[in-house]
Parts: sequence; structure tokens; C-alpha cells
Amino acid sequence: MNERLLLGRSIETGSWVHKLDARSKITGMLLYLAIILISHSWAAMGLLAVFSVTVMLSTRIPLKYFIKSAKPLRFLMLFIFIVQILSVKEGEAWLTFGSFSLYEGGLRLGAFSVIRMLFLVTFTSLLTFTTTPGKLNQGLEGMLSPFKRLGLKPDRLTMMIGLALRFIPTILDESQIILKAQASRGADLKELPLKEKGRMLVSLLVPVITSAFRRAQDLVYSMEARGFRMDAPRTRYHRLRWGTADTLFVIMFIIMGVAVAVL
Amino acid sequence: MAIQLQQVSYTYADRSLWRQTALHDINLNIAKGSMVGIAGATGSGKSTLLQLFNGILKPSQGTVKVLDVTIQAGEKAPRLLPLRRRVGLVFQFPEQQMFEETVEKDLIFGPLNFGMSPEEAKMRARQAMTDMGLDLALLERNPFRLSGGQMRKAAIASVLAMDPEIIVLDEPTATLDPLSRAELIGLLERLCREQGRTIVIVTHRMDELLPYADQWALLKEGRMAFQGSGQELAADPDILESCGLSVPHSLRYWNAVARRFGLEGEKPCLTAESLAERIALLQAEGMRDRHE
Repeated sequence: MNERLLLGRSIETGSWVHKLDARSKITGMLLYLAIILISHSWAAMGLLAVFSVTVMLSTRIPLKYFIKSAKPLRFLMLFIFIVQILSVKEGEAWLTFGSFSLYEGGLRLGAFSVIRMLFLVTFTSLLTFTTTPGKLNQGLEGMLSPFKRLGLKPDRLTMMIGLALRFIPTILDESQIILKAQASRGADLKELPLKEKGRMLVSLLVPVITSAFRRAQDLVYSMEARGFRMDAPRTRYHRLRWGTADTLFVIMFIIMGVAVAVL
Repeated sequence: MAIQLQQVSYTYADRSLWRQTALHDINLNIAKGSMVGIAGATGSGKSTLLQLFNGILKPSQGTVKVLDVTIQAGEKAPRLLPLRRRVGLVFQFPEQQMFEETVEKDLIFGPLNFGMSPEEAKMRARQAMTDMGLDLALLERNPFRLSGGQMRKAAIASVLAMDPEIIVLDEPTATLDPLSRAELIGLLERLCREQGRTIVIVTHRMDELLPYADQWALLKEGRMAFQGSGQELAADPDILESCGLSVPHSLRYWNAVARRFGLEGEKPCLTAESLAERIALLQAEGMRDRHE
């Protein structure tokens, strides 16, 4: 379970992307999202592919990790592809089986949707692969700080996100341990019939949730014991630093956007 | 042999960027009916080693033989349910081992899975509670409402209730008070000597186990650093320090007495009582020598 979990795990290789400010990476990803939405031709898709793969390779993280991150969505992608083929009736009909025809437009739009989704997921996992959760969170806080004037409290929000992210591996580890405890007392999930499996998973939920609450309570105490107060100004351990590379990184996406819009 | 490990290695998260080898090339033999202590600094792979004993973890390399079951790296494991009934594993943190709503349900969980009738399971649960010196009134309580020590005892009881032939415990005395600690070691020793069960204990307090253990295994950074009797350990206490462990008081006292009176070849006396008697005997021997 743990080994397969790629979500929210950074992979340190020390590449140039790793050294960028989290804010520039978040901005880049938002721009990438826009680029994906405005690319409507095979040429744009091709350019996007070359650009995305080049940037992914330059992080020195093996490409297979990016591909793995899209794997959970493979059925959704297939589903979207089929829906597009069935519903879009544009362009010339290529194949006809009785009342059903396969149109060029449907095939094209289906392929575009899948490619878009694939790139969106694989490329944006670059953000979490190259940025530790803490820095990411801080970057988010930096991005949201203009909204302070509107009464929004970005530090509260990011504190919440940070704590939630921090608990994901803990809770997974905990469920792993309970699974092991159950297995060593004769209830191995791998060896049980399907119906029993479901029952076991439910019986796993109760202790995992109660222990999460217990942990949360302990965490609150330990934070308060170390003088944490909500909304009090705090010194940052890492400072956000916007450099030339960050500006260039964002400009790269803008150029890419313009190119895709033209194509 | 109850447990036999041949050139066993274990790697966490194999085939990924986060791979980490916890055990390297371990050879270990544990005889049936013996009491074995395993020690090592934190992170030396003790807990990983224990989880190999009942097939919770499968070796990345090498062969693990437990009773009549063989688990070989790279091969499909045999059905492990019968093995797990015979090998009881008490985890390091009892609060992570209990998962039912009441202590009783937790205690009968194992026995029921291994095909005991509910009545028999409940009877075994009561027996295990009594063995662990726990009040039967606790059976109806939520395990998370118990104190740390009670929870630890209940976790051990839940394994004892399965009536296993091999009992493997990961730091069972860590959160117990001194009296309960001595009682637990006494109980385990009785299970070993009177009923012929094999007991494997990971411990940081070597002192409390030294007088009883037949054999010791010391781990250092995932490798087997020493395997032998307490007597051999007493002869060469430096090995303990090289493993990042401090030399237990009982060994230090014995060695000091042995050096002072030239008793190096003898079987070490590792309890306060036996040491006192040995010293008293010295005096008697001295008197006799003078008379002759």
C-alpha cells in the first residue's frame, strides 16, 4: 500500500526545478492548466508533448514515476474516450455498424480529452515530486497573501492543509500496522474470501479513525505546549525567494501558451 | 529447529526510489523449546526480523523456515493461516494492535479466526487474562480506555489466548512497571520450561532476561553481530558496546566478581540472589582452604 503511494511524496534529485520557488511552480502549473484548455489542434498537442516531456526529463526523476501517477485514472480516461466517440457526430463517418457510425470528430475529441487529462495529471505531479509538502504549503500561503485584505486568512488555510497532508502517511502507516496485527491473528486480507474482506476493511476503519482523532488531540496539546497561537505572527524557517530562474520559468509557460494559442 | 533463517535479507519498498534494506544476510537458528533474547540498537532491524517469523513480511532474499513451513524469497508463499496460529506475535506498540471495541472481543479475535468455538475462545480469553494478572472486569472495557500497562498486558493476553507454540514479543516490558515486568518474564519462562513453548523476546533491558535466556542474538545495522549463550556474552562484553548497547549491570557485576576471585571459567551468576550465594560460597571455600 505504502510503496504504491506517490501522492504528495517529493523525490529529491537536486535538479533546477527542485530549486525553484514554490510560488513560481504553482504559477507555472496554473498556466499549464490554461495551456491545456486552449490547445485544440494536433500541432498544439505535439508541441505540448515535446515541451512537457522535456521539462519532466530535466527534473532527473525517472519518467516512469510520472506515468505511474496517471495510472489510477486509466479507467476514467477510457470512459471519457468512449463517451466522446459515442456522442460527438462531427466530421466524416469512418466506420458504420448498422445504426452506429464512428466519426472522425468523435475520435479526435476523444483522443484530445485523453491526452489532455494524461498530460495534466503527469505534468502537475511535477509540482509535488519536486517540492516538499512544507515548501509547497508555504508557496500557497505566499500566493494567497494578497487576499488577506479581503478578510481571508491564508495562514490558517495552509496550516490546515499542511496538517492534513502530514497525517496522510501517518494514517496509512497506522492502517498497515493494524492490518499486520489482524493478519498475525489469523485474518490475513490476502487470504480471505471477498465477503470477509469487506467486513475486515470496515473493522479497520473504526480503529484507524479513532486513532486519528487521538493523534489530532495529542498534536493540539503538543503545539500549544510549544506556544502555538492561531493568528499570532510566526518566524518562517524557510524564506520564499523569487529569483531570475523563477521569472524565466513562468515566462517559459507564457511563451508556450502563446505558441499553443497560435497553432 | 523452531525457526531457521538462511541468508535472509529484507528490503523495504523494493524496486522504488525509497528502497531501504533493513536486514542483510541473516543466519539464525532457534531451537524448539528455547528462550531467546534479541537485542540491538534502535533501527538495527529487530522488529523487521520478528515479522519474518510468522510470514507478515516475506524475505527479499534467502529462506525462512518456521516449524514445518518454508517461505522462500521469490516464491509464492504457502498458506500462512496455520502458521500464524502456531506463532503468536506481540507487536511493539500495543495500542496499534488492539482494534476491537471491547477487550474481550479483541482477545477472542485470534482464537475465533483459528476455528475455536465462541465458548472455548471466551474461556481461553479468561485464562489469558488471569495469566497476565488482569482483572476479568476489564473484559467489557474499551481497550483504548485501559492504562498503558493494562493495554500492554491485554495485547500479550490476546496472543496467549491463541495458544501458540512459538511466542514472539517485541519489547514486551517497555511500558510495564517493575513488578509486572518480573511477573511477565516469570510467566514466559514457565510457558517455556513447563510447556515447552519457544519464546523469542526483543528487549532493551537485557538485565531482566539474561538469567533466563538460553541464547542471544545481537543485531547491528541489519546484520547479525553475535549469536550465542549468555555465558559467551559474559566472556566478551565488548561485543555489546560495538553493537551500541550498554553492558547490563548483571554482567558487569559478575565480571567484576569473576576477575577479582578468578572465576572466569564458571557459569555466570546473573541474578542478585545467585551472585550473593556464589560470593558466600567463596568465603566458605576460603575458610576450607585455610583449614587444609
